[in-house]
This record gives sequence, C-alpha cells and structure tokens, in this order.
Amino acid sequence: MTNEEKIKKELAERFGFSTEQICVGRERRVCIELPYDQFRRVFEHAVKNMAFRHLCTITGLDEGASLALIYHVAHADGTVLSLKTRIPTATPVLQTILDIFPGGLIYERELVDLLGVRVDGLPEGHRYPLPEGWPTGQHPLRKDWKAEMLDGVYPKKEVKSNG
Amino acid sequence: MKWLQKLITWARIKSPWIIHFNTGACNACDIEIVAALTPRYDIERFGILLKGTPRHADVLVCSGPVTRQIQDRLVRVYEQMPEPKFVVAVGTCACSGGVFKGCYNVQGGIDSMIPVSAYIPGCPARPEAIIDGVVKLLTSLQGAKPAPAIPVNTPEAATHD
Repeated sequence: MTNEEKIKKELAERFGFSTEQICVGRERRVCIELPYDQFRRVFEHAVKNMAFRHLCTITGLDEGASLALIYHVAHADGTVLSLKTRIPTATPVLQTILDIFPGGLIYERELVDLLGVRVDGLPEGHRYPLPEGWPTGQHPLRKDWKAEMLDGVYPKKEVKSNG
Repeated sequence: MKWLQKLITWARIKSPWIIHFNTGACNACDIEIVAALTPRYDIERFGILLKGTPRHADVLVCSGPVTRQIQDRLVRVYEQMPEPKFVVAVGTCACSGGVFKGCYNVQGGIDSMIPVSAYIPGCPARPEAIIDGVVKLLTSLQGAKPAPAIPVNTPEAATHD
C-alpha cells in the first residue's frame, strides 16, 4: 500500500470520511473536503499524530455564498495534505490555529485583511498586508470588490513641478 | 550673466548625480539599473554617479509601479531633491503601471504621483535602453534635440515591419 493510500485509510477509518471526500490527486498530494465543525479535530490529528508538522500556507477563496479555506500541511517526506473547509460568507468566523502553528499568524492576518474573515483568538497587532489608510470594511479578494471603491481614498499629493 | 548660466548648465550635464528608488519593482529593473552602473556598461563616462541620498541627487531613477504603501514616500523623496530635478521612469511598470495597473495595491505609473522627464520602456529595460534614455534626457537639457534613433538593420526588425 502506498503512503498516500495509508493516509487516506487512516483518515477514513478514524473520522468516517467517504472515499469521495478524500482524493489523491497524484503522488504525495492528498486532499480532504470536510465541514468546518469537523475541521479542528482532523487538523489536530494530522499535525500531532500523523507528523504533518509544516504549515505551507492557508488558501482563501470567495465562492459566493461560502468562503472556502484550504489549509496545506506538509510531512517531512514531501507529502502535502490539503484540508478544505467552508464557512458561510454571511458569518465568516474562524477559530485560530495559532496554538498549533504560531507561524500561521501572517496567513490568518491575510484572511482577515483580504477576505474579511473574523478569526477568533488572533492577537491584536498591526494589519497585514494591506497598505496604511485602507478603508475598513473593504476586502479586495472578495468577488464583489471593485477597484472603483477606492476612488478618492488615496488622494494625489500636490508636488512642485520640474525646475 | 549668460556665461555663468552656461557654465552651470555645463556642470550639471557633465555630472548628473542619481538616486535609485524602487517604488514596488520586482527587482528585474533594479538589476538592470545596477548593471548599467557597472564598468561593463560604464555609465560613469557621462559623469553619472549613484548617490545614497536624494539630497545630493539631480536625477531620481524610479523602477516599478507605485504601490499605495509607497506613494507618499515617493513624493517625500522627490521633494527632498534640490531643484532642478529630473525623474527617469525605468521599465514598463514605472512608465504606466504595466501588468499591475488596476491592482488593489497599486496607484499606477510614476507619473501618477510626480512629473516624469524620461520614460524607458522594457520588461526589464536593458542597460543599453537605460543609457539611451539618460543620454536623451541629458541632450534635451542642453536645449538640443536628441539624436534620431539609429535604424537597426537586423532580421528581427525586418520581420516586425
């Protein structure tokens, strides 16, 4: 049995995932789609018991009615496990994963700034990565965001002309 | 006093000091600017010298689109330069915003914030193009028309016509 099949089998047996929920895209790539209420348990199990010790990144997607989040965690042998979960766009609230991966701070801040997710448990601090003076309530990676919404927010400064 | 003005113009054209400022470039144009300053291309033969501060510089060489984070800093750097001052936009992004035009974090080209004297297109602009642009700027300062572009007789140029 290949390594990917082992991962698939362990997760399917432990959490009762169907084979449609888990896909092995190719060698060393395993993806799971799961509801958010199951996410935390599966994520913690993968990190603590299955040695997926590296958080590559968190991908955020605006799918209209829901926001999809893909947590990519990697094993030392190069296997990447992608956990895809969805939260409603109307109430985009996530639990932080900083207790497991303190380095996930910037990814979670990106979710806050770019997609307008509320992350419970995220410490106070500087915004990231949007520039200073960015209007609150605007999230540029939301599909309904338009560049025209910034009109007049960053006024052009008057400068002296060439000598 | 005409001779004095002539002398000042002569001195300025013979030793334009530059400051290089990255306003959000991907680093490709920066490398080409640095390459243009090396002895291989030897831009110093025109008296051009890279300075570490805008207060000592006559020419501001900008690369990259103007990001919203840096737009006020660009104006501040420009205002610190003594008159007369000139701005050279190196690369397509600096000229117009390039592929980043319309991005949520990009204001546009250099001329969306400060007046630009010379535009050097290219992605990245080659050192030869940078030297050509700078020489054209210096020639225009003398009050003379820049030399017309020399037609290049290469197979590539022929096919594009």
